[in-house]
Amino acid sequence: MIFLALRYLVARKKQTLLTLLGIFFGTAGFILLSGIMLGFRSYLVGQLVNNNPHIHIQPREDFLTEHSLDSSFYPLGYEHIFWAVPPSGRKSSTFIENPQNWYQLLREHPQVNHFTPQLMVSALLSNGPSSATANLIGCDPIEQKQVTTIGDYVTEGSFSDLATGGNRLILGHELKKKLGVELSQAINVSVANTPAKTFRVTGFFRTGNKSFDSYAYGEIGDIQNLNKTPKKVNEIAVRLHDHTYASSLARTWTQLGPEKIESWDQINASIFDVFKIQDTVRFLTIASILVVAGFGIYNVLNMTIMQKRKDIAILRSMGYGASEVIILFFLQGFILGIIGASLGLIFGYFMSIYLQTIPFGGGSFAGRGTGFLMVSTDSRIYFQAAFFALLSSSVASILPALGAGRLTPIEIIRAGAD
Amino acid sequence: MSIKARHLVKEIGSPPTRIINDISLQIEEGEFVSLTGRSGSGKSSLLYLMSTLDSPSSGLLEIDRKNILQMKKEELNDFRNRSVGFVFQFHYLIAELSALENILMPARKIGLVKSKLDFAHQLLKEFDLENKENRLPRQLSGGEQQRVAIARALIMEPKYIFADEPTGSLDTINSELVMSILHETHQRLKTTIILVTHDPDYAKQANRQIHLVDGRMT
Repeated sequence: MIFLALRYLVARKKQTLLTLLGIFFGTAGFILLSGIMLGFRSYLVGQLVNNNPHIHIQPREDFLTEHSLDSSFYPLGYEHIFWAVPPSGRKSSTFIENPQNWYQLLREHPQVNHFTPQLMVSALLSNGPSSATANLIGCDPIEQKQVTTIGDYVTEGSFSDLATGGNRLILGHELKKKLGVELSQAINVSVANTPAKTFRVTGFFRTGNKSFDSYAYGEIGDIQNLNKTPKKVNEIAVRLHDHTYASSLARTWTQLGPEKIESWDQINASIFDVFKIQDTVRFLTIASILVVAGFGIYNVLNMTIMQKRKDIAILRSMGYGASEVIILFFLQGFILGIIGASLGLIFGYFMSIYLQTIPFGGGSFAGRGTGFLMVSTDSRIYFQAAFFALLSSSVASILPALGAGRLTPIEIIRAGAD
Repeated sequence: MSIKARHLVKEIGSPPTRIINDISLQIEEGEFVSLTGRSGSGKSSLLYLMSTLDSPSSGLLEIDRKNILQMKKEELNDFRNRSVGFVFQFHYLIAELSALENILMPARKIGLVKSKLDFAHQLLKEFDLENKENRLPRQLSGGEQQRVAIARALIMEPKYIFADEPTGSLDTINSELVMSILHETHQRLKTTIILVTHDPDYAKQANRQIHLVDGRMT
C-alpha cells in the first residue's frame, strides 16, 4: 500500500508540505531547544564535577539552641528553664578533629581517586596601597590539581610551582586586577590577629567565575604557618573515580564521624531542581508543537478519507482488506512523520553545529568553555525528538485510519447512490 | 461452479426495511444474466449480495459450492481479488494513478504486477486505449474511463463479472462499446456476467433476464 500512499501524498502537495512543516518545526525545535539547554547544562555540570571536589569533608557544624545548655547548668529537677538571653552561636570546631583518620580511610578506599587537605582562611592581601580581602586556600598543590581542574585555568605560571613551598601564591584574575600585581611580585598577606607575611605571586588563574577568581591558592604548610594553626585543616577535598557515587558515599561517610560531609550534587541541589523545571518546560513546549502538528495530520487524513471514500470502496471490491485500507491511510501520516522528523533531525543537527560556531563567551562566561555557544548534540536528544515526532504522527494517523478501515464498501456505494 | 442463492433476505435501517425479499436463484457458470427492474426494486442490492460485497440478513448464498457466510475475511478478500471483477456505473478509478496503474491495482495486491503487465497492455490495445496508458483518469473521456474500469475488472481474468449499470453514465456510442466488450469477454473467456441495467435492449442481450419488483423476483 506504500505505492498508493505515496501517490496520495504527492497528489496533495500543499497539504503534504504544510503537514510536513509542522512535524519538521516540532522536531527541529526540540533538537535546538534541548541542544541549547542540555549543552549549557552539561557545561555547567562539567564545571561542577570537574572544577570542584566530588566530596567535601568539613568540620562539624552544630548550632546552639535555647535549651542546648540546660542540662549543663541545671542537671536535675528543672523542667522549665527560661534564659534572659538564650544561648546562641556555633558549637562546632573550626577544624576537622581527626584528619589523619580520614586520610587513612581515603587512601584505602577503592572509589577515591585523589584527595587533598585544605585550610581555607580569610585573608587581607595588599600590594602597596591596593588591598583586597580574599579566601586563601592552602592545599597540597599536586593533589589539588588532581582533585579539581584548577590547573587547567592557570594563565600564567604553574600551579605545581606552589609545591616547593616558601610562601608562594597563585591568584585569581579578579584579585590580580584589584591588587594590580604582576608575576613574581611580592605581596603582603595577613589573617586575623597575625602579623602580615610576604608571599610571592607565582601565577594567575582565570575560571571565568568571578567568585572563584577572587580566590588565592598557596601551599598548605605556608597557610597553616600564616594562620598559626600548624597541622590543622578545615576541609578535605575528595575526587572519586566515578562522580555518580558521590552522594551515596557522602551519606555512608556521615555515619563515620561528626564531620559535615557533602557531595557535589548535594551542595548544588538547587541547580538540579532548576534542571528538572527546564526539562518539564522543554518537554511541554515540544509536546504542544507536536500535538498541533499531530492535529494537522489528523485533520488532513480525515479530509482525505472523506474525499477517498470511493477509492476505499473500489479497493475493498478488488479484495483489499480492511487492514490494508488502515495501512494505506496510516502510512500517509507515518510517512509524513518519518520525513518531517528526518528533515527536522538533519536541520536540527546542522543548525546545532552552526550555533556552536557563534561566539558566546562574554560576561560571566569570559574565558570559560569553548568561547562559543554550547549546543549539545547528544544522540539521546535525537532519539527523543524522533520518538516524539513519530509518536504524534502515529497517534494522529491511526485514529482516522481505523475509521477508514471500518467503512464497508457497500456503505460507501449506497451513500454514493444516495 | 455456480452462484446459488436460497431464500435471500436483506433488511436495512431501523426499523428494518426489507429490500431483498426471499429470493432463490441459481446462476450457472458462463451465463450472462441481466437483472432488471425499476429504481429501488433491489437489483443492485441483489448484485452486491451475490458479489459478496454485502451480506444477507438471512438465507443461504453459495458460490462455487462454498457458503459465503462461512468464509473467513481473508478468503473473501482473496475470492474477490482472484475471481470477481466489478464494473460500476461510475468508473471509480483512482484519480492519482494512471490508466495502466489503475488496471493493475488488483494484481498489485498479490504482487502480480509484472506478470500481468503484458495482459494489461493487451487489454488497453483491445479497448482502444493503447496510447493512453499513462494518462490520469481526468485526462480521459467518460467512455475511456469506463473502458479502463472494465480492463481493471478483467485483469485477474475473473470467473465472475458483476456490472452495476455500466452504461448508466455513458452516451449511446460508448454504451454500445461497453456492452460489446462485455459480450466479447463472455464469449471468449466464458466469464459469468451478471449485469444490472435499466435498458431493456441491453437486458435482452443476456442469456437470461431476472426481473425484480420490490425486492422479489417475478
